[in-house]
Amino acid sequence: MSVLKGWKKMEEDIVDYTLKYAESKQIEYAEVRAQSQVQDRLMLRNGILEAYVSAVDSGFCVRILADGGIGFASTNKWTREEAKDIVDLAFKYAKAAGRKDKIVFAKERGVETKWTVDQKRKAENVSPEEKITEFVEVNKSLASCGVKIAATIFQCSIDLISKYFVSSEGSRISSFVPKIGAFLFLTVAEQGKTEQAGEQFGYSGGWEAFKEWNITDKMIHDAKILKDVITKGKAVKPGNMDLICGPEVAGIAAHESCGHPMEADRILGREMSQAGRSFIYKSGPYWLGTRIGSDAVTIVDDPSLAHSYGYYAYDDEGLKARRRFLYKNGIINEFLHNRESAAKLGAKSNASSRSINYDREAIVRMANTFVLPGNMTEEELVEDVKSGVYMKSFTEWNIDDKRFNQRYVGREAYIIENGELTHPVARPVIETTTLKFWSAVDAVSKKVEFEAATCGKGDPAQGVPVYTGGPCIRLREVYVK
Amino acid sequence: MSDVLNRTEEIVKKAKSLGADEVLAKTTFGRYRQVRFSGNQVDITVAWNDYVTDVALAWKKRLVATQIHDFHDVDAGIKKLLELAKVSKENPLFGGFAKGKFKYAASKADKKLEELENPTDYVFEAVEAARKEAGAEIDSGGILFTKFEDVCLASSEGPIGVDKRSAIELSIRAFTQREASGHGVECSSTLKDFKPERAGAKAGEIAKLAKNPKAGDEGVYDVIFDPLIFGSSLAVWGMMISAFNVLVQMSVFVDKLGKKVAPEIVTMRDNPSVYSLSSRVFDDEGVPARENVFIDHGLLKCYLHNTSTAKMFKTETTGNAGLVAPNAWNIELDAGDVSKDELFEDVKKGLYLTNTWYTRFQNYAKGDFSTIPRDGIFLIEKGKIKQSLKDLRVSDNALSMLGNIAGISEERQHVHWWGEAEPPSLSPYVLIKDVHLTKSK
Repeated sequence: MSVLKGWKKMEEDIVDYTLKYAESKQIEYAEVRAQSQVQDRLMLRNGILEAYVSAVDSGFCVRILADGGIGFASTNKWTREEAKDIVDLAFKYAKAAGRKDKIVFAKERGVETKWTVDQKRKAENVSPEEKITEFVEVNKSLASCGVKIAATIFQCSIDLISKYFVSSEGSRISSFVPKIGAFLFLTVAEQGKTEQAGEQFGYSGGWEAFKEWNITDKMIHDAKILKDVITKGKAVKPGNMDLICGPEVAGIAAHESCGHPMEADRILGREMSQAGRSFIYKSGPYWLGTRIGSDAVTIVDDPSLAHSYGYYAYDDEGLKARRRFLYKNGIINEFLHNRESAAKLGAKSNASSRSINYDREAIVRMANTFVLPGNMTEEELVEDVKSGVYMKSFTEWNIDDKRFNQRYVGREAYIIENGELTHPVARPVIETTTLKFWSAVDAVSKKVEFEAATCGKGDPAQGVPVYTGGPCIRLREVYVK
Repeated sequence: MSDVLNRTEEIVKKAKSLGADEVLAKTTFGRYRQVRFSGNQVDITVAWNDYVTDVALAWKKRLVATQIHDFHDVDAGIKKLLELAKVSKENPLFGGFAKGKFKYAASKADKKLEELENPTDYVFEAVEAARKEAGAEIDSGGILFTKFEDVCLASSEGPIGVDKRSAIELSIRAFTQREASGHGVECSSTLKDFKPERAGAKAGEIAKLAKNPKAGDEGVYDVIFDPLIFGSSLAVWGMMISAFNVLVQMSVFVDKLGKKVAPEIVTMRDNPSVYSLSSRVFDDEGVPARENVFIDHGLLKCYLHNTSTAKMFKTETTGNAGLVAPNAWNIELDAGDVSKDELFEDVKKGLYLTNTWYTRFQNYAKGDFSTIPRDGIFLIEKGKIKQSLKDLRVSDNALSMLGNIAGISEERQHVHWWGEAEPPSLSPYVLIKDVHLTKSK
């Protein structure tokens, strides 16, 4: 047997041994998932390298379904003794659950496969000096762009992730995914006032990502926009008006008020005390087939977008990934499922089970969530607005834990008068419900721009890489203040 | 422990012998256990065993760090780290690691939390307590979490020490109706002080009061914050008091040292005391962890520092070093001199908020933010709860709210919840005047 990429023969053997040992017990299902993550992290404060962290985190977990209960245990000690210990613990915990409603997993066939994401320029071959220099140069460009920058903080992460998954159903899947991420935060100070902006970048692939992101241009653009907000921004006159949301705003709205409420574990209450529940629930006003938006609104979640930040070919339960149509022409269409939620709701899993590491349970997650593009140009969307606001990007945002009451505060935003952008507007706010937001959409642009984000959920928290973004969308007659 | 400490010291010696100027190594053997439940039943029980040595070294003011999981491969790991330092960039503001030999208090960790025999029993105690308050039909969910860590720290600059850190916490949210819920938490560093039924009873009590909520109205209110939601506010101010966040303008406390930021009744401190989930005897540089008053009767007295940020601010470390940046361990707001009931009596018309989530800022330096109350939201009239409300959002300013604190209860609770009230805190009931509430339109 050949050794899988990222693994030593000894580690593979321990994974296989762990599964075999688990199968020797009275189980209904067992899986062993190993993950090795080669990590590079660098952080610059005001252009100075604060620290460079380089490490390898490697370990494995076992999840056991026995007597209708689930036990999970993990370790980063690669020994057979430790493997036995964690199986014994997971088995004991599964049996001790004592559930009245026994948990079952939706049936699936085992899969044997390998999948990888290619790198044009291998991240592991890029020297630390080059990575540091790239970010130092971004800071230098910002410092000389004509805007007073009060502070910056830049972070970059490179993760080379190898996984090896085996299950009692015969699955044996190995994968290798490099993930490159960056987060840049800046404070602009002009006329005794400050404004702030953060930008996240993410990619599955190699260091070629850095050039594709155009970080310097984007951050200089942000700096100039913040200066304009301070020096020229007017307040919006509150009232009902048309609102055009740029890809960043449309994307966060799709993520927060479509992706999250469509997670079946939320719908079933499994996240109730942390990330919360959903406005969608059985015997409630919203369920599969209910209208939640206009015909113009189709929102998908798609892990199969090549090189996207949320890309995966198989989920962490070993199922093949595919596009999911969550809201289809304004109708609630398909929930995000793992095998546990699918069985509870009489469905099949659509491969939405993700975990950030070997020491975390895989739970229902989004991948890349966005509004499907329409057929208009951005200019055409604006032309048809007599009086309104174009909110290109946002600062503060949030949504309640049933995913119905949300708020987005504009960062880069403009007043629209008679089909033209006239002047910058300072921090316009839309605070509305999911139903009103998506029902107000009358047109969608054809151009799509994705944004990287880290989606939070789970306890302990599991921040998973995702894309938001999408096309521009136009909302008619919504309240903006 | 002595074997692990020896191996930790060996890492420091090895790095020094290879040419590092300063080296810190901290080995943690952590055993973490968690029970997750929903629908009043256990969903999953989880165990994590984690063995890791965090190593930070400096070479000519270049700071690099790594994690070692495999003690068989230490030499190669340290060599690689030093090579990384040599190609890294100088940080002229790096002030070195803490120097000197320190004496540490004895750890009071509870060995019983190393491996609980029947952790699910505590969950069912909480669920039953919620049922007793709110009726058998409640739908509850949450987590029980335990931690036991053996920690060994060695530094080339002198500090060397061992610590044991234990914690147990339970978080329960109970629903009496689809939009009527209450949340309770119970946090302790020891099993003997852990009373899961208190969290269950609190969740049940609020869930019962929260029945039949009406949509609330926008406006400016006097608001009583429950210890749980006020723990989220303390966490925000605790994050902003880190000198690192001050340096990067992610704080409303920039240029506020020595200035009045709150009324005289407000004294706030960071204190990794023995009762706390964050209890510890030293920080990540080996400096004894200690109590630091950062707001004293309304005046901002200090930021929280590691050795490097302390040098930048021409002061001493406060014992708050993390591996890279300083952070708060456990925030305490000093108790007031009125009871919770008296605090309510002071409110002619206002709100009582019990929990919140999703706090996000427009601008950390300015402090404008919003957060979404969840679980019980109540209208208070003439000191009494009149009506359960829903669908409101606090849209205000972190500095204004600190300045508008008007009353603090004698009663305090140790709270921590998920990422929303993190780090943990010792939090009272607090009355804040003129809080802005908004809603969807």
